[in-house]
Amino acid sequence: MPELEQRLESLGRELAYPDTPDLVRVVGERLRSEAGAVAERPRRLLRVQRRALALALVLLLLLAGAVVAAVPDARNAFLELLGLRGATVERRSEAPPAPTPRSLDLGEPLSLDRARGRVDFRPLVPSGLPAVRAYVRRDVPGGELSLAYGPAPGLPRVKATGLGLLISEFRGDLDEDLIGKITGPATRVQRVTLDGSRAIWIEGAPHLFFYRDPQGLPRDHSLRLAANVLLVERGRLLVRLEGGFDREKAVELARSLR
Amino acid sequence: MEDRPLDETELVARARRGELAAYEEIVRRYQTIVFRTAWFITRSAADAEEAAQDAFVKAHAALGRFREGAPLRPWLLAIAANEARNRVKSAARREQLAVRAAAERRPGDAVPSPEAALLRREDQAELLTAVARLPERDRLVIACRYFLELSEEETAGVLGCRRGTVKSRLSRALGRLRVGVETADA
Repeated sequence: MPELEQRLESLGRELAYPDTPDLVRVVGERLRSEAGAVAERPRRLLRVQRRALALALVLLLLLAGAVVAAVPDARNAFLELLGLRGATVERRSEAPPAPTPRSLDLGEPLSLDRARGRVDFRPLVPSGLPAVRAYVRRDVPGGELSLAYGPAPGLPRVKATGLGLLISEFRGDLDEDLIGKITGPATRVQRVTLDGSRAIWIEGAPHLFFYRDPQGLPRDHSLRLAANVLLVERGRLLVRLEGGFDREKAVELARSLR
Repeated sequence: MEDRPLDETELVARARRGELAAYEEIVRRYQTIVFRTAWFITRSAADAEEAAQDAFVKAHAALGRFREGAPLRPWLLAIAANEARNRVKSAARREQLAVRAAAERRPGDAVPSPEAALLRREDQAELLTAVARLPERDRLVIACRYFLELSEEETAGVLGCRRGTVKSRLSRALGRLRVGVETADA
């Protein structure tokens, strides 16, 4: 081994690392606490089972082509598959089961200026809205920017997010299938063309929203209920606008993105 | 738990069946490497602790998806690295490592003469300074391969890239380090 590499290995053995904390105790306590919560709330078990069912449905989606062709029942259950670069929307004959309510995990909170420097694209921001909270996730290829706006006239508070408007942006060209959605038959899912850009409008009954991991499987911690959503392709970006507003308002917001 | 040490596959199988003691043994085995890996990404002991803790909790929840028989360590390290990256704060002060003092030398190490020990410490301190001056990307790949002694596969998981990329990234990082060391010596 060349000398420099040997010196590095030797140095590595001499470094004064910070003391390793007692993770056995802390992790054990957290897991016991979560297990206790399940015992106290039997209904949670049912929700976990429902969530598992939802994930199974998503896995089924991954094999959709083969399954739909081979199994008539699956054809009945599987109504529609719509896709944009970066997102797929699946409509099924049964409403998706509700996942356990969870807090939003949008990433690191940053000022908008700082957030601009942390993503591999030029963010689009709607015009005419008050100050925004920005968040960045780096576990998404190219980074993901989320812009969170509080409730305001025309932007009613959404129970699932506590926000008036949530915009998420990421490079749809880097991961063709990063986010997924499952809707039931009561949810309106409509293809829209917005100033030449492809878009999908999802309205009505809440639908499931989740991220996929690099293997294409859903990341279960990301599974949550979402409100009305407009998904828009803007060049290489996939922009997602979520809120309690109607389609006209969503289109107006999307058009104001600069 | 029984007296004989369980192998990893058995520990994972038991943890999957809900034996918390088995999972705690997994945490015990890997907590140091997971914490140090998270530290090299966040360079904050507090953030690394949080990332390592969350990584173990999330890994426990995801055990059902873990491929049976696969090595656990690369999987845990990749999850921890992901958690750590989410905690990197661009404006935060970055902690620096130092070389251990002679008094902290590990049991069993040969005891060098005072002069040799001094020279060795100076040499190591210089090398550490040169590593610290490297861009983050170079520093991290060197830390993974030489300081943490991770395999290429583990390093790829931590960096979120392919194994081939680890090789090329490491080669470039060593090249830059060599220049940095030579410049300091000149």
